[in-house]
Amino acid sequence: MNRLTTKPRIFFDYRVLWIVLTSGVAALGQDGLALAGQSTFLNKYCVTCHSNKLRTAGLSLENVNLSDVALSGEILEKVVRKVSSRAMPPAAAPKPDKATADAFVTSLETSLDQAATAHPNPGRPMMLHRLNRTEYLNAVRDLFQADLSPRDASLLPQDDTSFGFDNNGDVLGLSPLLLERYLSVANRVTAMALGPTGGLTGRIDPDVYTHRVDFTVPQREWIEGLPFGTRGGTAFTYRFPVDGEYTIRVKLQRITTAILGLDNANPPQRLEIAVDGERAGLFAISSTETVKEPLTATADELLARPAKPAKKLTKVEREQQSASADSALEVRLFVKAGERYITAAFLTRFEGLTDQLQQPLVSGQGGPPRLLGVDSVTVAGPFSAQGSADTHSRRRILTCKPSVPAEETACANKILENLSHRAFRRPVTSGEMDQLLTAYGEGRKEGTFEAGIASGIRRMLMDPAFLFRIERDPPRVAANTPYPISDLELASRLSFFLWSTVPDEPLREAAERGQLRDPAVLKSQVRRMLADPRARNLATNFGSQWLQLGVTEAAHPDPILFSDFDASLRQSFIKETELLLQSVLLSDQGVLELLNAKYTFVNERLARHYGIPGVYGDQFRRVELSDGIRGGLLGQGSILTATSYPTRTSPVLRGKWILDTLLGSPPPPPPPDVPALPEAGEGAKVLSVRERLAEHRKNPACASCHAHMDPLGLGLENFDATGRWRTVETNGPADLNPQKIDASGQLQDGTKFEGVAGLRQILNERSDQFVYTLTEKLLTFALGRGADWYDAPAIRDAVRAAQKDDYRFSTLVTAIVSSRPFQMRMSQPLEPEANRLDLKGN
Amino acid sequence: MFITRKAVDRRSFLRGVGATLALPVLDAMVPAFGAAPQAIPRLSFMYIPNGANIAAWTPSGVGKEFVFSPTLKALEPFRERVNVLSGLALHSADRVNDGAGDHSRATGAFLSGCHAKRTQGADLFLGITADQIAAKSLGKDNLLPSLELGIDDRKASPLCDEGYTCAYSNTVSWSSATTPLPIENDPRLVFERLFGEGRDSQQRAVRIRENRSILDSVTGALKQLQGSLGAPDRQRIDQYFDSIRQVELRLGRVQAQNTESPTFTAGMSRPLGAPEKFEDHIRLMFDLQVLAFQSDITRITTLMFAGERSGRSYPEAGVPDSHHSVSHHDNQPEKRAKVAKIDTYHVQQLAYFLGKLRDTPDGEGNLLDNSMLLYGAGISNGNVHDHSPLPIVLAGGGAGRLQGGRHIVFRNEPPLSNVVRAMLDKVGVATDSLGESTGKAEL
Repeated sequence: MNRLTTKPRIFFDYRVLWIVLTSGVAALGQDGLALAGQSTFLNKYCVTCHSNKLRTAGLSLENVNLSDVALSGEILEKVVRKVSSRAMPPAAAPKPDKATADAFVTSLETSLDQAATAHPNPGRPMMLHRLNRTEYLNAVRDLFQADLSPRDASLLPQDDTSFGFDNNGDVLGLSPLLLERYLSVANRVTAMALGPTGGLTGRIDPDVYTHRVDFTVPQREWIEGLPFGTRGGTAFTYRFPVDGEYTIRVKLQRITTAILGLDNANPPQRLEIAVDGERAGLFAISSTETVKEPLTATADELLARPAKPAKKLTKVEREQQSASADSALEVRLFVKAGERYITAAFLTRFEGLTDQLQQPLVSGQGGPPRLLGVDSVTVAGPFSAQGSADTHSRRRILTCKPSVPAEETACANKILENLSHRAFRRPVTSGEMDQLLTAYGEGRKEGTFEAGIASGIRRMLMDPAFLFRIERDPPRVAANTPYPISDLELASRLSFFLWSTVPDEPLREAAERGQLRDPAVLKSQVRRMLADPRARNLATNFGSQWLQLGVTEAAHPDPILFSDFDASLRQSFIKETELLLQSVLLSDQGVLELLNAKYTFVNERLARHYGIPGVYGDQFRRVELSDGIRGGLLGQGSILTATSYPTRTSPVLRGKWILDTLLGSPPPPPPPDVPALPEAGEGAKVLSVRERLAEHRKNPACASCHAHMDPLGLGLENFDATGRWRTVETNGPADLNPQKIDASGQLQDGTKFEGVAGLRQILNERSDQFVYTLTEKLLTFALGRGADWYDAPAIRDAVRAAQKDDYRFSTLVTAIVSSRPFQMRMSQPLEPEANRLDLKGN
Repeated sequence: MFITRKAVDRRSFLRGVGATLALPVLDAMVPAFGAAPQAIPRLSFMYIPNGANIAAWTPSGVGKEFVFSPTLKALEPFRERVNVLSGLALHSADRVNDGAGDHSRATGAFLSGCHAKRTQGADLFLGITADQIAAKSLGKDNLLPSLELGIDDRKASPLCDEGYTCAYSNTVSWSSATTPLPIENDPRLVFERLFGEGRDSQQRAVRIRENRSILDSVTGALKQLQGSLGAPDRQRIDQYFDSIRQVELRLGRVQAQNTESPTFTAGMSRPLGAPEKFEDHIRLMFDLQVLAFQSDITRITTLMFAGERSGRSYPEAGVPDSHHSVSHHDNQPEKRAKVAKIDTYHVQQLAYFLGKLRDTPDGEGNLLDNSMLLYGAGISNGNVHDHSPLPIVLAGGGAGRLQGGRHIVFRNEPPLSNVVRAMLDKVGVATDSLGESTGKAEL
């Protein structure tokens, strides 16, 4: 331990150290004091392993220059992160007490922040940042005030993810497939927005859309969004492109060819098809026949009708009905263009099955009798399209109407300039207008004025200025120099961050007036934008990627062990999380509420799963909680399911999720050649998950990381693999000796805690780390690039600003959008002449 | 994309409305281009994630005298068209001081033989893949030089290896060292890509004309952006130009063939979307590949059964657990058996494809005679993420250039790329190198 005397470790002015050691600290200025403290700390706790010789984890701290931290910023930011998250020093090494570690971190952070102010590096996102799928679709929605149908939207391939988000400009590449799809989608957009004349060929082809119902959607109960007095079925919104005749057809659930539940359809079960709440078809389906009922049949009439004696069918007829009872479930009707709400569900009041519906599931007897269920609803058409309706989109696009041919060009110019101003997020150049008008002219030559407009729009949607967020270095800026991006570029960054779409007029106008850099204007824009419905995108897009809810979408708990898990529970999970995010972020609460909320959002299905009494129906509502169990992200089924295996919980995955997502200190990936866990010998005691993990941690190679992960995850052991509360763990349904759950944990520093409440407490003690992590993820999403070490000072700044305001979300966002990496950009570094773009005859 | 199908009246169109998961009507379709004068070779590359249970996979016996393992049993009916290749390796997927990330590197190396650069940024770098080398020669005159398919919804696998962009594990196809190609998982969109969206040739002609003129005009706009660009932006612009060129080429080809008007006469329908069940989904994807081969729309396909780290469970095959999780089997016999079950189930799907190809006449023989199919994983033992020995099947007659019925055991862990190069060689695609390849394997 004679580190200081053997050889120089940390490179800095040794005379300073000498003064510290000999004459005490009083003689030093503040900087020197900080310097000495930092160096002492590094020497004492870090350099033993991170030396030039050992280079543990590929890192040496011997040569860092503490008197000019800018030179070693990348390494020192790592040190800050590891020490502040207590991931370092490791368990086996001598550890500083908390005050010492905190003082060291604060001092080093201050040095790094000062260096960053002196030598700012805002980073350099790509010049060409392609809109991702979500952004493209949102932009189209905002430009034309209509959503593409899910079918058309599915034409755009999904994007690759980097740093946890799919809006990363670095990897949003181009391929022939994508370009082809852009061409197809552009045609769908104009057909959608303008009606028949907007399509490339001046008419709209009959199309088919099938809305499939997940087999696990319960068909016995009333489903949110469907009429009261119905059970099962499905509802969805379909955009009818044009006034015309359409067919709507329902298929019933089957096993192979036989329709499920038909045997129980006596008396008949009634299926109602409705468009925008208006009945379009009513069918009585029984095991012997399917009858179309008059549309006007009221409940009283149906009830009053004497039950017909069931027809006697031959075996062949019975089989036929069993295979084709749904072949007549089709209605053909005239529908006006626009979005319509289609429902198909069974009427319950006339079924006389109430008793059966309430009959509890008796094990061994297969539960209540199976009822008919909806498998899919297919909309086809238009079959006799009529002219374009007066839709929002058409009104928005066709801002002028030429009455004589001579007015056409001027009107086309007005329409296309207006649209592309918004689509390109900046004023259009005259060269660009020429290109749009050329496209217009070609379309006009083949058809009507509107056909010309449609061609112009398709050209606009293929323009790099629409497809890419373009940030160009200003002329005459020196190489590799930070510069403020233009106000219009800033407006784009803001709207793609908060809304994942193009700026609206108020925002763009503020930028065009040059006011966006006025802190008061910026702040009020942020508040306005967060209050806008489009900001929900922060919950559904940012939030779901941050919390990795995609895994919840893909989770398939073992259907035997978790027989009550179904699609509606999965959707309820995700909805609950999104509602919490919305509630905290958009009603501008402190972000720690995400951990500590004493309320949550449930419907009946979810409440039953959680054991919360008194919640009926499928509407989500806020419920207050006092048990300290649910409430906050840690008690949510979405996350607890996503971090489990299909057959059991995984404290490792849960611990890793907490470290990664909430604390921003992901453990390194497991080393290769992971030694196998010892096998349980014949007749040996079956080990619980906890015991197996404890075995695992006996291996020092495993322990270095698992000692961080496992205890956190173990604190959540009271939640099973679908997030249900449990106090015992069974090893399969036949296990007669369930073990009592032990949800205690002990952190590396010795802190003990108990269960989810204890874990929440631990996270609150590290709230700075949590907010730092959230801020870093927000910045990553906001910039569409990975946050790098040089962003750390800006993140710390934002966290400090938010802290003064109880971590209110709008304050945090305002700090982020005011930060250097958000407001500025590095100009292009100098490159050797030989590497310059070779024009290749393009 | 726009092969004419003139006589699709409303009736046959509506028949499609009721079509469920299978594609019965597709079988009735007549190939558009008639019988080819000489056998056209086709290539298909299939990727399975998370390694395999090699012990249960490897056949006993070597050469012609081998016995199919339980895992490969389903291939028995195709014995004379099947080779099992043992002892191959993907050294290029091994770590080189870049830590974990074997799943990403395995996917990347499978057809490139290259070591994926560890990054999440714009400096992503791999190498061109074998299917794309073939697309540039064998496939260059086809409507689709190649077709890249998958089953997974990408949303389902948001987690990729630490430090690696998901681009590495989302596809096995790269058209250049810096351009990963997206894969398509929706059968309906694949169908439309093959057979077009428009209703008749006149409609399509208008559309093609406009699209070509849009691309032309966009090229002009793009040139405005050129100037002194940094490397990543330059690469993006090149990708843009390159994509435009390829789509223009394709539109040109479609335009020419559109006027030649080859016709599909029978009623046909499009698939409605991605089926819920894995087996329905993957079989539909195989049906579409058979169609694409049959009509010579493309000669080269890739299909990912799932992305690496796939957590798909296979209750239908007796494995309700997550695939990735059981692949880390800790040498527990129970879990290893589950891995073998998944492997077996996957091979059964391959057998379905082989059967379909065999039952489809082509030239003098059938499509299986004329195809060469590589099926396998980039990881050997999922528990430790090693890349040797790989589980590999090489099937098909390669248009008379590939023998079957053998268990070929390689010594000294030669790279898989040697086999891939030999495949390309047999179909007349010359290669000087392919990633880590050290030559062409004797097949």
